[in-house]
Amino acid sequence: MKLLLVEDNERVARFVRKGLTEAGHTVDHADNGRDGMYHAVSEPYDAIVMDRMLPGGIDGLGIVEALRQQGNRVPILILSALDGVDDRIRGLRAGGDDYLTKPFAFGELLARLDALLRRSQSQAVETVMTLGDLSVDMLSHRVTRAGKPVALQPREFKLLTYLLRHANQVVTRTMLLESVWDYHFDPQTNVIDVHISKLRQKIDAGFATPLLRTVRNAGYMLTDQP
Amino acid sequence: MNLRLPGFSARTIAIGYAVVSLLVLAMFAGPLWFAWHKNIGEVRTQLLKSDARHLSNLFERQGPPALAAAIDSQVHGVNDGVRKIMLLVAPDGAKLAGNLPEWPEGVPERDGLCQVTIRVDDKPRNVELVRVTLEDGYMLLVASNLDRFQQLERLFAYGLLGCALAVLVGAALGGVLIRRALLGRVQRISQTTASIIEGKLSHRLVEPCDGDELQQLTRTVNRMLDQIEHLVTGVQDVSNAIAHDLRTPLSELRARLEELSVARPAGEETFAEIDAAIDDVDRVMGIFNALLRLAEIDSGSRRGGFVEVDLAALGAEVTEFYGPVAELKDIDLGFDAPEDLRVVGDPVLLAQALGNMADNALKFAPVRGTIAITARRLDADTVAVVVADNGPGIPEHERTRVIERFYRVDASRGTPGVGLGLSVVSAVARLHGGALTLEDNHPGLRATLRLQANPAAQAR
Repeated sequence: MKLLLVEDNERVARFVRKGLTEAGHTVDHADNGRDGMYHAVSEPYDAIVMDRMLPGGIDGLGIVEALRQQGNRVPILILSALDGVDDRIRGLRAGGDDYLTKPFAFGELLARLDALLRRSQSQAVETVMTLGDLSVDMLSHRVTRAGKPVALQPREFKLLTYLLRHANQVVTRTMLLESVWDYHFDPQTNVIDVHISKLRQKIDAGFATPLLRTVRNAGYMLTDQP
Repeated sequence: MNLRLPGFSARTIAIGYAVVSLLVLAMFAGPLWFAWHKNIGEVRTQLLKSDARHLSNLFERQGPPALAAAIDSQVHGVNDGVRKIMLLVAPDGAKLAGNLPEWPEGVPERDGLCQVTIRVDDKPRNVELVRVTLEDGYMLLVASNLDRFQQLERLFAYGLLGCALAVLVGAALGGVLIRRALLGRVQRISQTTASIIEGKLSHRLVEPCDGDELQQLTRTVNRMLDQIEHLVTGVQDVSNAIAHDLRTPLSELRARLEELSVARPAGEETFAEIDAAIDDVDRVMGIFNALLRLAEIDSGSRRGGFVEVDLAALGAEVTEFYGPVAELKDIDLGFDAPEDLRVVGDPVLLAQALGNMADNALKFAPVRGTIAITARRLDADTVAVVVADNGPGIPEHERTRVIERFYRVDASRGTPGVGLGLSVVSAVARLHGGALTLEDNHPGLRATLRLQANPAAQAR
C-alpha cells in the first residue's frame, strides 16, 4: 500500500516509516504542513497518517479539512499529542477516520491503519462471514465451527464479528474497547483478556487449529493461517 | 444604544437621592405656586372691582354722604394700612371718607385697575388700586395692599428652600450611612480576598444572614473559592504524587536501561529486558493519561457533552463487561436497578466512573465474595449508584484520602493500578453536581456515587 506520513518530529517519523516499510508499505514522508498538503493533493495514496501540530502554515486538521472539501475520501489516521476527548471529537469531525494519541505503540498504529485500509477496500455488507471452518451468519446470529453450532452471548458475538471483520490483522485491546463496548477509558484489570479467553474457549476449544491468537505486546488476531 | 449606568457607590446613591427628591419637591411646589398665585391674584382683583362697583352704585343711589358713611364703617379702625384701603374725595380734592389722609401721588389720571406704589401711613406700599370717577367730580379709590401677599409668598419660598436644604442634608447623611454600612461589608470581603491572595486558600467570606444580593454574591464567591482551593490542592497533590508514584517506574526504567547498557547480556535476555522496559513506559503513560483525564474532567469543560443517559442501562452494561472477571474469581457480581433511571450527563465519563468503581471492588473482593451494584433514584433530583463489596474495606480515617489523587492504602500497593480510579470517580461525580462517598459495608466497602439528575438545571 502507498501511504503518506505527515509528521514533523524526525525521530517519530523515522520510527513510523521504518515500521510501515517493514510491514510492506511504501511510505512518503512530509515534515511540514505545506509539503504534506502538496503531496496529499498531487498523488493518490491508500491512507494518510497525519500529525496535528505541524510547522509550515497549515496544521494537520487544516489539511484534513481541505482534502475533505475537495471530495478526497482517502482514509486518514490522525496522530496527535492532544488527547482530550474534545480534541478527538474535533479531529474526527474535521474528517479524520481514526485518532491515535502520542505516545503510542507502533503495534497500535499498524493495527488501526490496517483496519482503515481494510474498511476502505471492502465496503460491501456481507451477510455470512467465514474464516477457515468458522462461519458467522450476520442476519441470524448463527455461529458454527466445522459445522457445529457455537452458542455466543450478544456481546461475544459482537466481539467475534469485529475480529472477523479484521481477520488476519492485529486488533489491539483499545480498539476492542472502543469498537465493541464504546468505552473510552483504560480498565485497570485485564477485562479484555478475560473476554477474549472466554471467546477462545467457545470457538477454539476442542479444535486442532486455534483461530484466535494473542499477539505479544500488541493485541489479538483472528487468523486461519499457520 | 448602550446605556451606561453610573457605578454603584454611596456617593452616587446620595446624589441620586438628592436630585430625585429636589425634582419631586419642584414638581409639587411648582403647580402649587402657580395655582396659588393666579387664584389669589384673580380673587383679589375681583374683590376690588366688586367693591368699587358696590360703592359706585351706592353713590349713584344715595349720594356722597351715604357713601362716605359706608366707607368709614368699612375702614373703621384700620391699622397699618394692611387691609382695605379706601378713599373718597370731593371734586375739590378734600377728603370725605377713607383711611388715607389725602389723594395719593402716583395714581394714574384715568379710571380703572392698576398696580402702583403709594404712601400709606408714611410708608411706600405696593398696592393694587381701582380708581373711579363718580358723578359731579367725586373720586373714589379702592386699593388692596400687595405687600401682605408678597410676605406670604416670601414665606412660601423660604419654606421651599428649607425643604430643599433638608433634602440635601438628608441625602448627604444617608450617603454617609450607606457608605459606612456598605463599605464595612465590602471592606470585609476585600480583606478576606486579600488574605486569600496571600495564600490562605481555606479562608471564606463571612456570609451575611439577611438574604440580600450581597449574600448571594458571597455565596457564589465562596463556591468559586471552594473550586479554586480544590484545584490548587489537587495540583499540589499531583506534584507530590508525581514525585513518588511517577518517579518509581521511571527510576526502575532508568536502572533497567543502564544495567542493559553496562552488562550487554545475550540477545534473548536483552529482548526480555526491552519488553520489561516497554511495560515500565506503559505504566508511566497510564499514569499520565489518568492525570490528564482528571484535569480534563475537573476543568468542567466536558459539560458541553452532556446528553440524556440511562444509568440503569449503563450500569447493566458495565456489570456485563466485568462479569467474566468476576466469574474468574468466583465472585457473585449482581446488578439491580429500576427500569428507567435517566440523568443528564456525559455517557463516556459515567461509564468510566461506574467501570472504575466495579474495577476497584473486583480488585479487593475476596475469592467467592459478593459485589452488589445497585442504582436508585433517591429523590426528584438525585440518583445514586452503590457498589458494595465484602472485601477488607477501607479504615475510616483513610476513606477520604483514597479519593485523593494517587493515594493508595498501603496494603494495596502491590495490586495493579495507579491509584487514580476513585479520584476519577469523584471528579466525574463533581462534574455531575454530586459526590462520591465511602462507607463501611460490614464487612467491605460501600461506595456511593451520587449524581444530580439534571446538573445543568442545578447549576443555574
